[in-house]
Amino acid sequence: MSDLQKTAPGQGREASVMRALLQHPILGVLSVLVVIFVASALLSPYFLTPYNLSVVARGLAFVALVTIGQASLMILGELDLSLGTIGGLSGILTGMLMVNAGINPWLAIVIAISFGAVLGFINGILTTKLRLHSLVLTIGTAGIYGGAILVLTRGVAITGIPREIQFLGRGTLLGVPMPFIIMLVMLVLAAFLTIKTPFGRYMYAIGNNRDAARMLGIPVDRIRVLVFVMAGALSAMAGVLLVARLGTAQPSIGDAWVLGPIAAAVIGGVATTGGVGMIAGAIFGAGIIAIIENIIVLFGVSPYWQGIVSGAIVVIAISFDAISRQWLRKES
Amino acid sequence: MAYLEARGLGRDFPGVTALNDVDIDVESGRAHVLVGENGAGKSTFVKLVTGTDRPSRGQIRIDGKDAAEHPDLFRYIAYVPQELSLFPHMSVAENLLMPFHASGHRGLVRRRTLEAKTQSYLDRFGIAAKPSDLVRNISVPDQQLLQIARASTNTDMRVLILDEPTSALTPVEVERVFRVVRDFHERGIGVVFISHKMDEVFDIGDDYTVLRNGKKVDAGQLADVDEDRLIRAMSGQKLELGTMFRPKVPRGKPLLTVTGLSGRKFDDVSFTLDRGEILGFAGLVGSGRSEIMQTIFGFLKARGGRVSLDGADWPLGDTTKSVAGGMLYLSEERKHHGIFPHLSLRENIGLSITDLTNSPLGISAARERAAVDDIIKDYEIRTASREKKISFLSGGNQQKAIIGRAMAMTPKILIFDEPTKGIDVRTKAQIYKIMQGLAEQGIGIILVSSEMDELRKCASRIITMHSGRITGDFDSATADSEQLVGAIFATETEHV
Repeated sequence: MSDLQKTAPGQGREASVMRALLQHPILGVLSVLVVIFVASALLSPYFLTPYNLSVVARGLAFVALVTIGQASLMILGELDLSLGTIGGLSGILTGMLMVNAGINPWLAIVIAISFGAVLGFINGILTTKLRLHSLVLTIGTAGIYGGAILVLTRGVAITGIPREIQFLGRGTLLGVPMPFIIMLVMLVLAAFLTIKTPFGRYMYAIGNNRDAARMLGIPVDRIRVLVFVMAGALSAMAGVLLVARLGTAQPSIGDAWVLGPIAAAVIGGVATTGGVGMIAGAIFGAGIIAIIENIIVLFGVSPYWQGIVSGAIVVIAISFDAISRQWLRKES
Repeated sequence: MAYLEARGLGRDFPGVTALNDVDIDVESGRAHVLVGENGAGKSTFVKLVTGTDRPSRGQIRIDGKDAAEHPDLFRYIAYVPQELSLFPHMSVAENLLMPFHASGHRGLVRRRTLEAKTQSYLDRFGIAAKPSDLVRNISVPDQQLLQIARASTNTDMRVLILDEPTSALTPVEVERVFRVVRDFHERGIGVVFISHKMDEVFDIGDDYTVLRNGKKVDAGQLADVDEDRLIRAMSGQKLELGTMFRPKVPRGKPLLTVTGLSGRKFDDVSFTLDRGEILGFAGLVGSGRSEIMQTIFGFLKARGGRVSLDGADWPLGDTTKSVAGGMLYLSEERKHHGIFPHLSLRENIGLSITDLTNSPLGISAARERAAVDDIIKDYEIRTASREKKISFLSGGNQQKAIIGRAMAMTPKILIFDEPTKGIDVRTKAQIYKIMQGLAEQGIGIILVSSEMDELRKCASRIITMHSGRITGDFDSATADSEQLVGAIFATETEHV
């Protein structure tokens, strides 16, 4: 080592702060989130009102739950396009059990979430045993699960969800919407799992290099199936909470949970190719999308423009990421 | 005047100077050998003179002109990387002539035209494949030669850089490569030849440059120097090349017994590995050695046969059980089977020491850092920081990290598959010493190697293979070299 010369830092402090932010897995996206939050507060007097903030937080909670699952799968190098319809189908199931079958609503919720886990298990076991690409497989299972929603409901919402569970979707705790609190708990659990446990380390290893993970004796397929199960259960949880929020089980639940979570994860630094990024980053990404969508509404922009704007955010965010990586490479 | 000249070339990366004040002249029609340990700056040099990276200091002159001002000059420099970079699902002809404009091919791509052009190259390079064959179906040596052939289709080429072109080749195929290189010389093309194999260096080289820690430490004509001097220059110290690394304690009881094992590319293989033994496997590339080991390890499926460890049946087909049972396999494919490229050195090593670092509150960052630092120190892994991405480390340091990681799992059986492929002389000796130490502790070691010298130095016993069958079992200390080579090729001569 003695022959190696240390190069002088050379660049200014701004550049090194900039580099630290860009290199850190989530600080970069977090600072973007903070900037957008502050800008929104400055741009619109309505943004910081408790009512508006709770609308944003509540709306974010559902899609964020699915994002936790999708981001976990993406770390593994998988992608599940059926998470939206798993959420929808589980929501319908919980509605039917409570309303049509008259089962205890709490039991109905447990059954629905377990059902989501089973649907995730089916995706996982088919992907691993048949050595399919999960993206391709779940195009198929998304069709099946989505079709089942229509068969069961004939396109009609199930109304009359019991009041006793509606607080899960509508209630607040210390002024914070319940779904948001539940999502935060799940986020903390998922962050702990991925960062601090061997299981989580193995997830990253598999996403980086599946063969090398097998060579190290990591139970690759078991971990992959378990994460599919986890993602299915989280999506079902989102579906159930949205049913509690709406007071009805709508066949359209989950429609927005297919591409949104993938976009959020990518903005948050989770690569679709696997092995990099953090769950918290993905949730910050979802937060960025939610705030921008909210500000569009506050400005009275036609809702027809929302798709274009949120699509543009994804493109800008990914371009920013690519450009900053090139900048880092040039700097070094 | 040299065709390619580097003057005071330097390249800095954050925290390290990868190359500093290097002058190199590559003459037309001569072979310039570039040697140095892993991480000495060879790859950095190649990146700079091929125009894929820009120097921090100094100048590159091609045909007497400054390449920084005329970047199109870089088209005269062709480069064949060490790793195969072919398109496996495309034909030999398509691989050879791509990019089509550089090989003088204009207009629509017509299969028949491509294949007609290809045949002459295949003949000249002695590649035993048809132009229409898919690349994934031809042998590894042929792929290696095809890669060199591809560089030569570049009609502008004046200098060809070959980065360890022989690491996957047997002596016969190496001779094919050398014939091609000599042919290039006659056409006035300068060749830069990077290799760790000293006999090849002296066989093919005219001029040489030795790099160490990013600096040029020696240069001249190979006719004036000997092997010892190069090795001393590379390592900065005198190395005992003749040292033997065979375990010095007597072999223990049988540990692993393989009976009638069959699988992909091999049939009816039986052998026994004793405790404290280094058992060598010799053979040609593709003789089925890696497949046997990967099958015993559970990475590939067995077709038949039994394996037992300490007399108890060994479960086949499950790497998780194999590792839990104390068997580890270190693949020759570092990139595909060894490293996790986006993770840091710490995370790469940390994966296998979670038993040590885990607690009810999750993995302890402090304990992990300490354990990883120990491994970095014990295995002399050279890195700016433990947080550096492993893919930024040199090949030898990656290999040491992989070995260190494996050792932390306290295995009973270790299978090394070409552990020193692409690794410099000094690191090689380090790895041999590690193997020897492990064997002397009673661990059973299998060493698959294509370098006979390596097997003779390390193994207590050598099993030879040909075309998926065992053809001999020799005591390393007394075996006759000709017999060994005969056993590796023997059946081939019978077939012909």
